[in-house]
Amino acid sequence: MDMAIDGFHELDFTIFNTTTTTTTTTTTTDSSENDYDYACNWNDWSPVVDWEALSSDQNDFQDLIESMMDTHGGLKQSPLTDQETCNSMSTSTDTMLVDDETSGEDLKGLRLVHLLMAAAEALTGVNKSRELARVILIRLKELASPHDGTNMERLAAYFTDALQGLLDCNGNVHGKHSVNNGPHHYHYHNRGDQHHSDVLAAFQLLQDMSPYVKFGHFTANQSILEAVAQDRRIHIVDFDIMEGIQWASLMQALASRKDGPSTPHLRITALSRGGSGRKSIRTVQETGRRLTAFAASIGQPFSFHQCRLESDEAFRPSSLKLVRGEALVMNCMLHLPHSEYWSPSSLNPRLITLVEEEVAIGEGGFVGRFMDLLHHFSAMYDSLEAGFPMQSRARTLVEKVFLGPRIAGSLGRIYRARGEEENGSWGEWLAAIGFNQVNLSFANHCQAKLLLGLFNDGYRVEELACNRLVLGWKSRRLLSASVWTSNFNSDPDL
Amino acid sequence: MFHAKKPSTMNSHDRSMCVQGDSGLVLTTDPKPRLRWTVELHERFVDAVTQLGGPDKATPKTIMRVMGVKGLTLYHLKSHLQKFRLGKQPHKENDHLKDAPLDLQRNVPSSSGMMARSMNEMQMEVQRRLHEQLEVQRHLQLRIEAQGKYMQIMLEKACQTFAGENMASGGYKGIGNQGVSDMGTIKDFGSLNFPPFQDLNIYGGDQLDLQHSMERPSLDGFNLSNNENLCLGGKKRSSPYGDSGKTPLIWSDDLRLQELGSAPRCLGPQEDPFKGDHIQIAPPSMDRGPNLDSISDIYETKPVLQGSETMNDKKYEASPKLERPSPRRAPLPSERMSPMINSGAMSQGRNSTFG
Repeated sequence: MDMAIDGFHELDFTIFNTTTTTTTTTTTTDSSENDYDYACNWNDWSPVVDWEALSSDQNDFQDLIESMMDTHGGLKQSPLTDQETCNSMSTSTDTMLVDDETSGEDLKGLRLVHLLMAAAEALTGVNKSRELARVILIRLKELASPHDGTNMERLAAYFTDALQGLLDCNGNVHGKHSVNNGPHHYHYHNRGDQHHSDVLAAFQLLQDMSPYVKFGHFTANQSILEAVAQDRRIHIVDFDIMEGIQWASLMQALASRKDGPSTPHLRITALSRGGSGRKSIRTVQETGRRLTAFAASIGQPFSFHQCRLESDEAFRPSSLKLVRGEALVMNCMLHLPHSEYWSPSSLNPRLITLVEEEVAIGEGGFVGRFMDLLHHFSAMYDSLEAGFPMQSRARTLVEKVFLGPRIAGSLGRIYRARGEEENGSWGEWLAAIGFNQVNLSFANHCQAKLLLGLFNDGYRVEELACNRLVLGWKSRRLLSASVWTSNFNSDPDL
Repeated sequence: MFHAKKPSTMNSHDRSMCVQGDSGLVLTTDPKPRLRWTVELHERFVDAVTQLGGPDKATPKTIMRVMGVKGLTLYHLKSHLQKFRLGKQPHKENDHLKDAPLDLQRNVPSSSGMMARSMNEMQMEVQRRLHEQLEVQRHLQLRIEAQGKYMQIMLEKACQTFAGENMASGGYKGIGNQGVSDMGTIKDFGSLNFPPFQDLNIYGGDQLDLQHSMERPSLDGFNLSNNENLCLGGKKRSSPYGDSGKTPLIWSDDLRLQELGSAPRCLGPQEDPFKGDHIQIAPPSMDRGPNLDSISDIYETKPVLQGSETMNDKKYEASPKLERPSPRRAPLPSERMSPMINSGAMSQGRNSTFG
């Protein structure tokens, strides 16, 4: 219990320091009015709000209104109100206003979903209303904390933060907010804010708690190993090397390989972008040193390069030092650069390994994709909880360090992509520009299955194409790993 | 709750949806509908072809005329005729393949020369698969190990350099004085020796690890009781979030629990490959997958395959002991192993209740 309250104080600190300054004036006037006036306010706003778009269902609509009415009570409290008061207030209103059939927890979750949807709609819908979005977000912040509560509550808290980020950086013309820092490098940037040790601890936990990390790494590595089985020199271009963990296992496998030329030389070029902060460049340098030391410790010939690009600079093949006779592999773990940034075909890689998130692309507009993301991450939260119900602290850390930034990044991406034509998934894009599928081997399938066997039963792996394995939690597909090759030099045994 | 509200976008991949048109044709709901060749439709097709004088004389156009099914296009007939000419009637052939191993098993006593030979081939194939799976398992183990080692290097490094970095990043105020507890967290990882290879040790299944896992229940109790002392002795900082000093201690508790929690789960795959029923989740490309366990039973009874049998034996020795700490799976091993060890009872393993 101590811990929960403690966590809550932290929450207050983080959440409210961003908003109170800007919104206190409006909210206090609102809350000084009585219920009726408040409702009138709503009516004043309603022309701006596309209520129909929010929900066609009358009940949902009611629910939303009721949720919003609740705001009235919530806003009276100071930002540092005790969690207990907050909860009791909201639950008591629940029971008064809505039929008692659904349990409080479910109801709250449902309401959070509605509020999030409303906020997304207010932010981007036909009738945008930044004020409305702001108010909904304030309400959401009262209802949801990233540190405790149900999965849905914690998840809603991160989505709220992400929406707030979009709202803020959209509002200030001169405001260069963190979220707005280039489409692909939210990850690095946000990690810049985190403590390195936190990141490490969380990363370790994520690896132990779920197969997400290893599934991507090992599936990609197995394909690489098979593709370069007969090569003496291997060159891997990594689009987001992070801590380089993926390569430890590859080196181990290369160093001990029996068929083919023994101990081939491995070269890794890590791409990093200047715009994502000095920290990322330093991280990559450290990674290079660490990988070099690790390779030396197991007797793997190895060299490391860093390829720095400016934030908006296109990736040119000429910026890579290529050596004749090397087998070139491009590795993209959740970070494929946008198509304008690179043209893989000109490099003619032996293999492209791709791990991407399975989220809806290009359909349903912002709100539709927003809901899909919500669904995606709620499955992820559920999977972590199902595997480790007792480790709420551990999960909270993983959520804070990984899922939170990822949510912010994904939301930012779909926000910026509004109205644009998109390529579809990266795999589809690779196929469209002429890359061929590479069959995943029996060993690769087998490995994925054995790996999942180490975790909760709810995980499953399915084969969506001959070159694509998808890791899912229950009915939701979460991550897919696919393997491609350029068709210029290959002999795809399809 | 939320799942009920999920958007319908995720089903775009599902191809299994079919629609039966008014003409009786079964079409998929793809943007580009494919025709499902039902048995009836195929029979009509075959009739038409024979009427026209065989697959080589019949053409899509004439077949279409003879069949007279509304909605059937030249495109459909062309590809079906092509397959028909090649003697590939997809569903039938697949069925045949699937049944083959079972048939073989049923006919074991009537060991004609032909049978014996294909049995042998089958065994070779099974042996190859099992061997490959063992290899994969071994590799996976090494890979997890390597990754764990690398992780540990990072954690140790972070421990060493943390103090300095903590000072440097002191300007970071966002979430309060996390630095204090973070430092603890990392140290905790070091001092409590959070096992990065936890999966591995158990997974590996050699004798040392057995002891290790046997001790766990008691370790757990130890930690839980000890935790209070640790809390008292833990660092008290006069920060407004003083209580966060506890974080690492709770952590350690969590981690132990986690270790315990994952232990039984890790055991699953260690024995599963030998039982073969694990393989049935294998993708369709491995057409023999589902039948592996029955085959492997046969193959166990034959003394021919010495090599992999010794390998198995070694593992079997280990697994009963390994399983013991897990209450959930405890009754499982003996029951599942029996069909393998008592060579008499075949294919029981699969139907027995695993709980």
